[in-house]
Amino acid sequence: MAGALVRALTDRFPELAATLWTDEDTVELQIDGSRNVELLRRLRDDPELHFWYLADAAAVDYGTTEHFEVVYHLYSDLHPAWLRVRARVDRAEPHLPSITGLWEGAMFHEREMYDMMGIVFDGNRDLRRIYMSPDYRSFPQRRDFLLPDDAADSSAAGVNPLERPETWDLSRFRDAVTESDEAAAKGKP
Amino acid sequence: MDWDLVLGIGRFVLSTTLLLLLTIPTAFIVIQMELKVIALMQLRYGPNRVGPKGMFQSTIHGFKVLAKEDVTPDMVDRPTFTLAPWMVFMAAAMSMLVIPFAPGLVAVDSSISVVYFFAVLGLSVVGLLVAGWASYNKYSLLGGLRSAAQMVSYEIPLTLSIVGVVVLTGSLSFTEIIEWQRQNGWAVIWQLVGFPIFFIAATAEINRTPFDMVEADSEIVAGFATEYSGMRFGFFFFAEYVSLFIMSAILVTLFFGGWLAPWPFPAQLEGFIGTLWGLFWFFLKTYLFVFVAVWMRATLPRVRVDQLMSLAWKVLLPVALLNLLVTGVAVVAFNLSGVR
Amino acid sequence: MTAVDPETRIPDPIELDRAEEARLHAALGIEPPRPAEPEYAGFETVGIPDRPPVTEREAEVYTLEEGEMLVNMGPQHPSTHGVMRLVVKVRSEVVVDLDPVLGYLHRGIEKLCENATYTTVLTYVDPMDYMSAMHNEHAPAIAFEKLYGIRAPKRAEYIRALVVELNRVFSHGLMMGFLALDMGGLTPILYGFINRDETVELLAAISGQRMLFNFFRVGGVNWDVSDEFISRLSTWRANVGRSVSDNEALITENEIFTARTKGMGVLSGDRAIALGVSGPNLRASGVPFDVRKAHPYSIYDELEFEVITHSSGDVYARYLQRVAEIKQSLHLIDQIVDQMPHGPVQAQVPGIIRPKPGRAYGAVESPRGLYSVYAISDGGPNPYRFRMRDPSFITLQVMPVLMPGHLIADTMAIMASLDPIMGGVDK
Repeated sequence: MAGALVRALTDRFPELAATLWTDEDTVELQIDGSRNVELLRRLRDDPELHFWYLADAAAVDYGTTEHFEVVYHLYSDLHPAWLRVRARVDRAEPHLPSITGLWEGAMFHEREMYDMMGIVFDGNRDLRRIYMSPDYRSFPQRRDFLLPDDAADSSAAGVNPLERPETWDLSRFRDAVTESDEAAAKGKP
Repeated sequence: MDWDLVLGIGRFVLSTTLLLLLTIPTAFIVIQMELKVIALMQLRYGPNRVGPKGMFQSTIHGFKVLAKEDVTPDMVDRPTFTLAPWMVFMAAAMSMLVIPFAPGLVAVDSSISVVYFFAVLGLSVVGLLVAGWASYNKYSLLGGLRSAAQMVSYEIPLTLSIVGVVVLTGSLSFTEIIEWQRQNGWAVIWQLVGFPIFFIAATAEINRTPFDMVEADSEIVAGFATEYSGMRFGFFFFAEYVSLFIMSAILVTLFFGGWLAPWPFPAQLEGFIGTLWGLFWFFLKTYLFVFVAVWMRATLPRVRVDQLMSLAWKVLLPVALLNLLVTGVAVVAFNLSGVR
Repeated sequence: MTAVDPETRIPDPIELDRAEEARLHAALGIEPPRPAEPEYAGFETVGIPDRPPVTEREAEVYTLEEGEMLVNMGPQHPSTHGVMRLVVKVRSEVVVDLDPVLGYLHRGIEKLCENATYTTVLTYVDPMDYMSAMHNEHAPAIAFEKLYGIRAPKRAEYIRALVVELNRVFSHGLMMGFLALDMGGLTPILYGFINRDETVELLAAISGQRMLFNFFRVGGVNWDVSDEFISRLSTWRANVGRSVSDNEALITENEIFTARTKGMGVLSGDRAIALGVSGPNLRASGVPFDVRKAHPYSIYDELEFEVITHSSGDVYARYLQRVAEIKQSLHLIDQIVDQMPHGPVQAQVPGIIRPKPGRAYGAVESPRGLYSVYAISDGGPNPYRFRMRDPSFITLQVMPVLMPGHLIADTMAIMASLDPIMGGVDK
């Protein structure tokens, strides 16, 4: 089913043939992140490939010692298979060119990837947080961001003063606080 | 001691008090109709707990509005903020003074009732503007201005459409217009164009669907009445439902024969029975038009503000003028009764 | 009013909070945020963030010129799409620019699913796009079956298509009601809910639930449909056409409605493709892209239907497109009921599935557009990465493109015609 597409891709991008993978309904290419705009532009504009629809742009975190990946899924009416482009991004410096020049609709995808993973898209005119509040300081979907029951160990820990008991001031409840409560707070039995 | 004067003043005071008291059950009945009729049209029950078949729901709504807390924002202009709901309500109540309910049952039977009625009705625009301005809220101000623009624009086709009836009947007094209709048939058959213009303009004048952009709108919250709560808010919406009744009453009086029965009955009923008969037909016809207005609310979406204004100025006004022209020419050409 | 003695006055709780916050900031050395500068004397500005804009586009939206004003159509919406905030920049009545602020309904479902087994994931995805919960489950089911390397039995695929089309019928039927409601017509939404109630009772008879169905499993569906259900479906099918056309009669030919929707919010086909729009919105702009035909899944290659398009791309076209798709779905349901084979409804899979490491992508056509799932498995019981692409999220980007030049009153109409559901937008 994807035979014609595999042949067309290996003809045009011989350097990617080594890592090309296919099964019956998807063809997958792997590239380095910096080449994404160039490759996607050629995929879109080539009359025999004609991948005119960007179906999805997702970010994957492969672990704290590994890399990020930005995965694009494209659709073409000339080929029945989905095309998946996996762009590898360095985890220490997660920068990638933005594809908003090719598809305007990638704006929200890139904002979400920035918000959730912390991948910065160069050339995106509106790279700000979309789900979390604008002053949030962590990236929730990274593998090292722990769930709320481990909030004390997460990278966003302690931002909220209520999460730090040493900052609590009970003096305005002075009347209600009895001596036994005070003793218990000090740790005496 | 001029007993006539004393009796006259006494009669005036009594009738005015009765009318003011009458506005309360009228508003309750109209609101109840709106709740139940719209519900039945939407294939649901509507209120059916309070009273038999939910009859007393609107009454309880009225008492609830009285009981609500009156939250007045800090920086409003207090005198005008308080005055605005009164202005709107008094415009409606004062205009009720000239409505002929039955033969002999008119609070003030003046020879210039028509002029008085439409003049007083226009005062409600002032109340809305004052409400919008006094609220110290830019959205209320915008809503009030829009509402005032809408009402002022539709007053012109409204008054022009009834001038046709006035020219036809040759009188500015409601009772004389009804008398003319008793002799010549209902004015709606003579003014086939004037009636729809009046109907549309009246619906827009009282801010009913489909022209209720200003009050039921999604972006400017509740328009001019945003900062009002409790009984002040109650006054505005009380006034709206009373105006609906009043507009229907005037429509019936001017075009559908007021308290006349649809066909001339063999026995001419006089006196007390005659008054009751007239009252029955008057209320029947008026509430029929109130039902039509409620029906429109259930069915139609809202007209957008700019389309609303262009309808008033570009469609209704020229048609009303044309209607007036044709009526005038016809009255002179055929020497119809009423030209003096 | 009696004077209150400052010594014995009970302090307002907000003063206590503010004092405590100031004390904490001083103790921790954090600089407190500067309060917003009021723009007009005594009037508060809404929507302008209390910090300088950080991006080019943000500066573009939040910088006001002479005569412009920011109106906040806040999270509590009078319309029924959900919690979303639109900051609209207007000049008198005309909209100049628009910025949607999202995230009010963000529940972190993607992250949550990384700690759930594959079967549990199918229950977590229901409340995303809650109006079309069956589609929300269908896409992950397809992706997981690709990962695991199995196919659902034929009867299961037919049942899946049946419930998915039923879901589409009532979702589009409700959209008609939402559109009319946002314009002030009170009745069509109630008629739409009658239609929905009947359809949802059918779906409850199949799956046990009225809204968040939890019906799909990896390898099939949970329960079979009985013959009694099929006869109930036929009764429903006989009535639904009439109820939809009743609703249509109130809306489609209504002068006020057409005057407010024709020529409004026109989206051209090329712009729609560039913006990533899909589903009825794209097809109403003239692009014949339907995932059921483009990349057939389930048994759609065995059913006979056409891709409907309209060419004008305005609000009215989007409305007509959905009405036409309801009729198309009813036609599909007829075919499905005719052709349904006998057989098992779930493949044999263990309780906790451990697919081989790999990646899979599954896409379905939901009532709002292309709904897809990209799942990565690492061999364990939980998916390594579970990504959902929701169509309403992408369609919202159309708002700042379509709105400028229209009046504020049209904002609601255009948004209702795009039919976003905030549960899907915010995940």
